[in-house]
Amino acid sequence: MLYTRRPLPFELYDVNLNDANGRQLKEISAELGLALSLSEMKRIQEYFTKKNRNPTDIELQSLGQAWSEHCCYKSSKSILKQFIFGIDAPQNLLLGEDAGVVEFDDEHVYVVALESHNHPSAIEPYGGAATGVGGIVRDVVCMGAQPIALADSLFFGPLDLPHQKLPKGIKHPLYLFSGVVAGIRDYGNRIGIPTTTGMVAFDDGYLGNCLVNVGCVGIAKKKHIIRSRVKRPGDVFVLAGGRTGRDGVHGVTFASMELTETSEEVSRGAVQLGDPITKEPLIHACLEANERGLLNGMKDLGGGGLSCVIGEMALAGGCGANIQLDEVPLKEGGMAPWEIWISESQERMMLAVDPKNLEEVLKIFDDWDILATAIGIVVPEKTLRLFYQDEKIFEMDLEFLIDGPTYCKSHRIKKVERVGQEEKLFKEPQDYDHVLLNLLSSPCIASKEWVIRQYDHEVRASTVLKPMQGIIGLQTHGDAVVIKPLEASYRGLALSADVNPQYTKIDPYWGSASAIDEVCRNLTAVGAIPHSFADCLNFGNPDKPERLGELYEAARGLGFVAKALGIPFVSGNVSLYNEGPTGTIAPTPTVLGVGIVPDIRQCITTDLKGNGNSIYLIGKTHRELGGSAYSKLMQAAAMVVPRVDPCVLKKRMNALLSAIHNGLVLSCHDVSEGGIAVCLAEMMMGGDIGANVDISEIANLRSDYKLFSESNTRWVVEVKRGMADEFEKTFEDLPLFEIGEVGGNKLLIADDRELIDLSVDDMRSVWKKPIYDYMG
Amino acid sequence: MNVEDINICILRIEGTNNEQEMYLAFKRLGAKPELVHLKQLTGEVAEAGRRDLFDYQCLMIPGGFSSGDYVRAGAILAARMKSAMKDDLTKFAEAGYPIGGICNGFQVLVELGLLPAFDEIMTDCPEACLTTNDSARFECRPTLLRHENKGNCVFTGRIPEKDILLMPSAHAEGKIIFPPQERGRHLQRLIDNDQVVFRYVSPEGDYAGYPWNPNGSVYNIAGICNPEGNVFGMMPHPERVFFGHQHPDWTRTNKENGDGRAIFVSVLEYIRGKF
Repeated sequence: MLYTRRPLPFELYDVNLNDANGRQLKEISAELGLALSLSEMKRIQEYFTKKNRNPTDIELQSLGQAWSEHCCYKSSKSILKQFIFGIDAPQNLLLGEDAGVVEFDDEHVYVVALESHNHPSAIEPYGGAATGVGGIVRDVVCMGAQPIALADSLFFGPLDLPHQKLPKGIKHPLYLFSGVVAGIRDYGNRIGIPTTTGMVAFDDGYLGNCLVNVGCVGIAKKKHIIRSRVKRPGDVFVLAGGRTGRDGVHGVTFASMELTETSEEVSRGAVQLGDPITKEPLIHACLEANERGLLNGMKDLGGGGLSCVIGEMALAGGCGANIQLDEVPLKEGGMAPWEIWISESQERMMLAVDPKNLEEVLKIFDDWDILATAIGIVVPEKTLRLFYQDEKIFEMDLEFLIDGPTYCKSHRIKKVERVGQEEKLFKEPQDYDHVLLNLLSSPCIASKEWVIRQYDHEVRASTVLKPMQGIIGLQTHGDAVVIKPLEASYRGLALSADVNPQYTKIDPYWGSASAIDEVCRNLTAVGAIPHSFADCLNFGNPDKPERLGELYEAARGLGFVAKALGIPFVSGNVSLYNEGPTGTIAPTPTVLGVGIVPDIRQCITTDLKGNGNSIYLIGKTHRELGGSAYSKLMQAAAMVVPRVDPCVLKKRMNALLSAIHNGLVLSCHDVSEGGIAVCLAEMMMGGDIGANVDISEIANLRSDYKLFSESNTRWVVEVKRGMADEFEKTFEDLPLFEIGEVGGNKLLIADDRELIDLSVDDMRSVWKKPIYDYMG
Repeated sequence: MNVEDINICILRIEGTNNEQEMYLAFKRLGAKPELVHLKQLTGEVAEAGRRDLFDYQCLMIPGGFSSGDYVRAGAILAARMKSAMKDDLTKFAEAGYPIGGICNGFQVLVELGLLPAFDEIMTDCPEACLTTNDSARFECRPTLLRHENKGNCVFTGRIPEKDILLMPSAHAEGKIIFPPQERGRHLQRLIDNDQVVFRYVSPEGDYAGYPWNPNGSVYNIAGICNPEGNVFGMMPHPERVFFGHQHPDWTRTNKENGDGRAIFVSVLEYIRGKF
């Protein structure tokens, strides 16, 4: 008999682990849904044999949570340590918490968190995305910070996939896209935090496994930052917020497996249910209790629920805990103790409170009509004990429970074909107008207004650069948004999220390096100094050496550029097992960049401003078409993805920032997908004005390469009339090309001959419509 | 009275989430705003936290999703207010104190029967409804409003008639409609009583359709007041454009003051003169 039920009025099993053989250990792991390997089960067996007893079901469940990939990063930790962690930068104030804490000014910090909610969103897009937002907001609040902005990066399969081609068990990208956007919209709008930036990309690789990466930024006074740990024995654990139910059982173990045809049926219960109208007052109450100095520690309940939060808080404070599990307020009767212990029901926070402050804390929550319940107490020894109806059902050493295994699994690095075959494969197009219109209407480049306007991106009234910029009614995409977080200061925070999976698919190293370059370009384009990064690393199954090889290469690429720039990764998350019946995703290291704007009144937008101003291109254009929108359109395989030279990036950013801060720049846009041609078109659409451009000087290349190559570290800049000399001086020995002048109502581009002659209206109409046409 | 003595009650419950920016709008102009939870007005908190509506000279209901807007936008908050403080609200409005509702607050005022309130200060049943946008989507976009009030509304006294102001909209349920059989009559009464305050227009000043009218509102109505002019509701957000740099196109125009500021200046001026 593997399981023996204890004679109690509730469900509790002793698991006969100590007599189990290897096959039985695997069976136990599978039957209880632990997702633990045989060697991990053996390690647990050894522990309990030493204790001279068998574990209970709830103890095993707790270990399944704590040792999951999601919670302990067992496959990725060694790689992250090597490349991502520990970039030396003075602004990074606090490490190892739920969110990064970074200096904003003398008195304030900003807080950054970024996380994936991929598997839940693939099964139930609305609830999965909504609870993704909920979780990331809690990560920021539990540091004592007021959330001020959300950022979402979304990746789906192709929207035009014929329904008959949809593989079994997979939901159509149209359904996933609309459900995810609705989930983010309804949650973000209801809690009153603006959803300001992000990205949407489409690729075949995301068909079976869409990605939903959610970021949140908050602001706090330095003195209000609170740690996710208990302070001393005697502290009371107070569980605040929503009730605990059966939703979200086994969420983290579900996230640490591949999706299958039957994931929907098996794992539907792993997706939590969001309740923004509990969350909204919960934020107020938590921040109020913290600002009044009534809390010793605070942490949100995320993956693993109570089972993770209590152990982690207690151990971080060098203590243990005794928990009365039947004090936990429940949504439904009949829940087994292990279900209560690992449920990931939403909208819950754990507070560590000095007993003398307990009454005051409970009153604050009561005034907001939010449940808050004392459920246990901190003890000096590093042991966690659970009691349920006076029965001791759990007793484990916290160090054993929390310090899960880490592995250096083998990885294999795929050799990237770096042969430049482009010229043979690409035939130079005859009709450049046609190419540009096709690029502008391709889903990855086309207007994302359908998404952006469903999110309240300016609630809190501090979004001073909005995601859509330019003449109202005719706005174009901005490069970054800017938030003005403090009433009494013009200092701002710029945010931008990016990665181009077309690059990382070909070359994870240079593709990831390019993501850092692009985020920096975007931040600089609005006049912000890049200041910190958060990374969300989405990859396939790490048990396959080539997948782990992709993660290794991506981390190496991110780390290489960030280290050279001296900008730290302050927060991050790894999401593995992103593969399903349709194969694996493209390696997708999403980067959220945060920049500091010294004075928001100097910010620059992407829309062209006026007749007669000069247009400049900053940076060199190379034949780098690998993963480009142009090569995709031409259905030609180009393998050279854009390279990054961090020293060059640094110099050009500094020069551009100085030009912006000296008031020489009227508009600026980074050159990315679709190259210079698309960049110019987007600037014109926002300003509703044309330009006359000549690209003959910018490089010694074929015209289509000049126009559509996606070489990094380039910007197009509109300079005030009469300021050209001063502007050029700023760039002294850096590559800078005057390429044209603003005016008229057409985009005219010439090389040695006329290439493009398109009216702004014609470009806008093909750019604006596609996503609306798909989504309605 | 002096502006620094004017107490503004900014009502909040779970889900109201535009109160901070509204609070700041009044604070910047030197008045004394206070964020007050509904329970503080209805006596459901400890003694020290209780507040009396008549301690204030103005009641503001901010935007957001009060109680989640799960039944119908604004319906739950309106029902809670009506059941606990109907008499206070009626007396407060009758005494000429201004009551303003922005976005969700406008929806609450209509659900309460304080707007359009043709025949009595607060009707038992709502006479209008703010319903789902024609696009069936949440719409967060800049909107242009022409001020069409001829001097009745106390929240727009400082704004010249016919002026066009930019104030952003952000809502899913902002289309004002009337019972079908009363549609023409209600609209005529709004016009005759000088209750129409703002109408959506295009940059050319036309009463245009979507997206300039973001929700499909009858007669392009964006904001109305009661016949007395002291109760006022609007869907767009003046508190989000207090400063020039909050305008969506400020890098093109370089305004110092935002277009929404005049709303707060106007109501404070009215209170100063009247009380």
